[in-house]
Amino acid sequence: MSQDLYTQIVNSPPGGFIAKRVGLPQPTTLDRYRPGQPVVTGQVLIGAAPSGRLAGAIASTLADAQADVATTLAPELRTASADAGLDASVFNPEAGGDRRFKGLVFDATGIKDSTELVELQKFFHPSVRKVQSSGRVVVLGTPPEATKDPREHTAQRALEGFTRSLGKEIGKGSTVQLVYVAPGAENLIGSTLRFFLSPKSAYVSGQVARVTPGEPVPTDIDWERPLAGKTALVTGASRGIGEAIIETLARDGASVVGLDVPQLAEDLNAVTSRLDGEAIELDITSDDAPKVLAAHFKSGVDIVVHNAGVTRDRTLAKMPEDRWSSLMEINLSSEERINDALLKGKRIPAGGRIIGVSSMAGIAGNRGQTNYATSKAGVIGMVESMAPVLADRGITINAVAPGFIETKMTAAMPIAVREPGRRLNSMNQGGLPIDVAETIAWFASSASGGLNGNVVRVCGQMLLGA
Amino acid sequence: MATRELSGPPSILPLYAKAALPMIPGASLLPFVPGSGKDVPELELVMPEVTFDAKSLAAYNRVCGFTLRDAVPSTYIHVLAFPLHMALMGEPNFPFGAVGLVHVNNTITQHRPVSMSETLSIKVTASKLRPHAKGKQFDMVAQAKAGRTIVWEGVSTYLRLGKGDPSLKVQHEKVEDPPVSATWRLEGGLGRRYAGASGDRNPIHLYDLTAKPLGFNKAIIHGMWTKARCLAALESVLPDAYKVDVQFRKPIPLPSKVTFGEEISKDGIRFAVRNARKGTPHLDGTVVQVAAKKR
Amino acid sequence: MTPTVRRVAVVGGNRIPFARSNGPYAHASNSDMLAAALDGLIERYNLQGETLGEVVAGAVLKHPRDRDLTREVVLGSKLAPETPAYDVQQACGTGLETTIAVANKIALGQIDAGIAGGVDTTSDAPLALNDDLREVLLDANRIPDTAGRLKLLTRLRPGMIKPAIPANQEPRTGLSMGEHCAIMASEWGITREAQDELTIRSHNALAAAYDKGFQDDLLTPYLGLERDQNLRPGSTPEKLAKLKPVFGGPEGTMTAANSTPLSDGASVVLLASEEWAKARNLPILAYITEAQTAAIDHVHKREGLLMAPAYAMPTMLDRAGITLQDFDVYEIHEAFAAQVLCTLAAWEDPVFCKERLGRSAPLGSIDTEKLNINGGSLAAGHPFAATGGRIVAGLAKELSERGSGRGVISICAAAGQGVVAILESAGGAK
Repeated sequence: MSQDLYTQIVNSPPGGFIAKRVGLPQPTTLDRYRPGQPVVTGQVLIGAAPSGRLAGAIASTLADAQADVATTLAPELRTASADAGLDASVFNPEAGGDRRFKGLVFDATGIKDSTELVELQKFFHPSVRKVQSSGRVVVLGTPPEATKDPREHTAQRALEGFTRSLGKEIGKGSTVQLVYVAPGAENLIGSTLRFFLSPKSAYVSGQVARVTPGEPVPTDIDWERPLAGKTALVTGASRGIGEAIIETLARDGASVVGLDVPQLAEDLNAVTSRLDGEAIELDITSDDAPKVLAAHFKSGVDIVVHNAGVTRDRTLAKMPEDRWSSLMEINLSSEERINDALLKGKRIPAGGRIIGVSSMAGIAGNRGQTNYATSKAGVIGMVESMAPVLADRGITINAVAPGFIETKMTAAMPIAVREPGRRLNSMNQGGLPIDVAETIAWFASSASGGLNGNVVRVCGQMLLGA
Repeated sequence: MATRELSGPPSILPLYAKAALPMIPGASLLPFVPGSGKDVPELELVMPEVTFDAKSLAAYNRVCGFTLRDAVPSTYIHVLAFPLHMALMGEPNFPFGAVGLVHVNNTITQHRPVSMSETLSIKVTASKLRPHAKGKQFDMVAQAKAGRTIVWEGVSTYLRLGKGDPSLKVQHEKVEDPPVSATWRLEGGLGRRYAGASGDRNPIHLYDLTAKPLGFNKAIIHGMWTKARCLAALESVLPDAYKVDVQFRKPIPLPSKVTFGEEISKDGIRFAVRNARKGTPHLDGTVVQVAAKKR
Repeated sequence: MTPTVRRVAVVGGNRIPFARSNGPYAHASNSDMLAAALDGLIERYNLQGETLGEVVAGAVLKHPRDRDLTREVVLGSKLAPETPAYDVQQACGTGLETTIAVANKIALGQIDAGIAGGVDTTSDAPLALNDDLREVLLDANRIPDTAGRLKLLTRLRPGMIKPAIPANQEPRTGLSMGEHCAIMASEWGITREAQDELTIRSHNALAAAYDKGFQDDLLTPYLGLERDQNLRPGSTPEKLAKLKPVFGGPEGTMTAANSTPLSDGASVVLLASEEWAKARNLPILAYITEAQTAAIDHVHKREGLLMAPAYAMPTMLDRAGITLQDFDVYEIHEAFAAQVLCTLAAWEDPVFCKERLGRSAPLGSIDTEKLNINGGSLAAGHPFAATGGRIVAGLAKELSERGSGRGVISICAAAGQGVVAILESAGGAK
């Protein structure tokens, strides 16, 4: 799916001129990932509050990603870079020069007290103006719940207000994230830092991700194909977001299995045959579906993406039970049954990934979508409830919560509903199915053993339900 | 002897106009036109504050082939003294105009190298007229002082062609020409370039057309250029203090190809300029070392 | 056969005061200035009539007519005309590179004494014919008949009259040296304040050197100039802070003061074996003991254009078996204050030293009180090829006055090159 028409027009010279004059929002054409591209195109600046604990991990990640890096003059960053084999230049805001950065990474784990939060101002004040369009800002902190000192807890919790606000003012298609890295999970930040710095996270902003101890990153990981050797099941794979997901997982090296209802068999087969994958025509709500799948994946399935979902909109007062139940079956209950069957049958091995698709409606609620929002909030519940259980088996569960994504479904919306949905976010535009797919691929990555129990919105930092 | 002090160098172009006036029949009867006197006037012209200008010096050095060193070429001080020659010859009671005079001999004595940052005082007088085989001759005697020390002296002998004393004809000694060490190609515009650098804009040096009325088929190069060019060729072997004496023989028409010959011995340096094809003698010169004065 | 390596003595040096471009030396050519510097050296060390092993010098901006610049200057000098000479050109490294060339021959016993030097004029810069015009004229030269030549003339265009002016520009990046250095300053985080401070120190140190007579036997006046024209002692940070940046855009930190101006000048150094110097009762100020040249890739690997000395230094230190801290005097050519500060920052930086130099530990910092103690190029000016000779002679004299000690020279050059060398006092390193 390409850009919406409005974005195309205001990015043309005459359109941009008019839009500026009449004060219309001017969405930036967002950078998006193309295979073979480096993680970041442009320089990444690293800063840190004194005595942080992530300098080494950040430096290693960026060295490994062959990123062009600069650091502040902080001696610990210089030493960490040297140790990591990261050939980083220096950035001193007082030294001038026409420096531009594609990414800003700040290790805030050294902030132990609210009085030290000023380190954020010190680093970002001179550097934020130097961020290029589609820039990336990542602040790394310690999960407040993992701190021992109340002052530290307070200060670390405060970071969220900073990143969410900066996301709303940075503009130019740039994103801002907060990554809480639990002690002991330092070596697991690689996939997350890469994702948040790369164009893959084009439509993800203002998010908080938690990296916690988990399965280590495979030593032989191929970052171009982090799913090599893995089998991935994607439900609802015949079109729209599902199609983008299965394509992306295949791109990342997975052997893909697409699932959809028999009515969509033709579309599904077209997709899976293009991707050298398998197709399963199945109604997931049928009673034997869990058994059928468990039988199908005798040799296991590493990645399960519960993408299939429907809307059956109606205000509650007009909502008959079947409209409620059929949706709940598809969007939530069948997923639980399938999970149970695959897990009980030990079909998902250690290193496995379960990924749900929630929704902004599930977080913020939406008029006319009590059923849908309930199911999608339930997906969040599923993630929360299962994460600790699965952690013991080396499996992770996470979910994405898409905002306004340009699909046939949203294209069919009445304009009065569509346009606010599209524009009321920090990017002033809708996301693309690929943005959801990339986020899922990040959770799916073999290197993402530290991501468990996360719900990350792919909404361009939608103003609703922030 | 009367002394007149000049505040700055007299402008040469009007001097040339004045110098040429006596060529118009009867003009010398006018009170301000030279030609009225019987002998060279007893007058000393002095320029008390002569300083060097790097740009002019560089232009001079370039056209003559000198390296631009801090020490100025000895012939350059002649260039600075030359306007005084002209002014003196432009005096109303000077016996004849400068145009038409032939420069036959020039001797320069450099008592020590002169730095371009020094200030000199230069004075010029003229000697009495004396007979020559082809007319009458006289000397322009110039002297440059740094403070009270005489650092430089120059004697230019000019010939006024006319009724001479044939018994005075100089028999040039039949000495072997010094061996040739270089060939120089003098391009047609050289006279104009040197005129620009030295200020000596005598029409005989500029164009064939301007030289013709004065009896030359072609423009000829300044004798002092030829002398300077010789000294430039000898720059690495010149002592700090020396006397360089040249006789100007036949003029060098422009353009020309000439040879430069030199012979260095313990007594000094002998050098000569000849036409490259026919061997016509243009210049004969010698350099001898003299006692050096301390700075 | 392994030749015996002899110690190479620096007997002394001479230069003319450095002038700003289009200043007092506006009409002096490279050969004029080199001759003037050489004259003074010959006079000071009584070299009249001496046949030396060789004279090596060069100029960065050289006229095509100066085919054998140095040789011609020798022929016009009081040295014996049997003294061979040749030209070397390695941008701002020329002066030190010529010193190394002569020193190596002395060390190997191939010659006993020689003169190294360099000269540059930015005033009398060679203008080339416009390339298009040149092409037409060359074609005309190749065509035998007049009709053909006349036809060629129809190709002439008025725009061809514009001469090609040699630009202070890197051919492969299109950036000037200053613009390159501005990038370095930014990448090394060098502040305006630090650059200005170094600039003030340079001027004050050079002025002090003149005042105490240190320069008396290092230069001879030329064309009315007795001190370096660029020298402006007594400036203040406040005054320098008022200057607008000239490189690196409006946010740049490099100004006309903390960058060297275009300059004119020449310098020469007399080098000899100990025996040669002693036989003539000439002094030995210092010995040249080590040297190293390095180059970096500023084009594809985007290393800072003027960072090569930072690479040359550790190689040389390793060979000498000493550390960066083992010097009593540091002479780092101040092409730009930022260049010096970038170099020092690089040696202190763990990333640079590990990633670029492949060393386990940084070279470390130096005592800046020992840096450019008699002033540097920011004060003296920087006629490209003449800087090396100025520094070698000045450092040798400083070491001689100290009676013992060791000094190091670091010179950056255009096109991504750098030259470093070690001098030791005749009285010993320590």
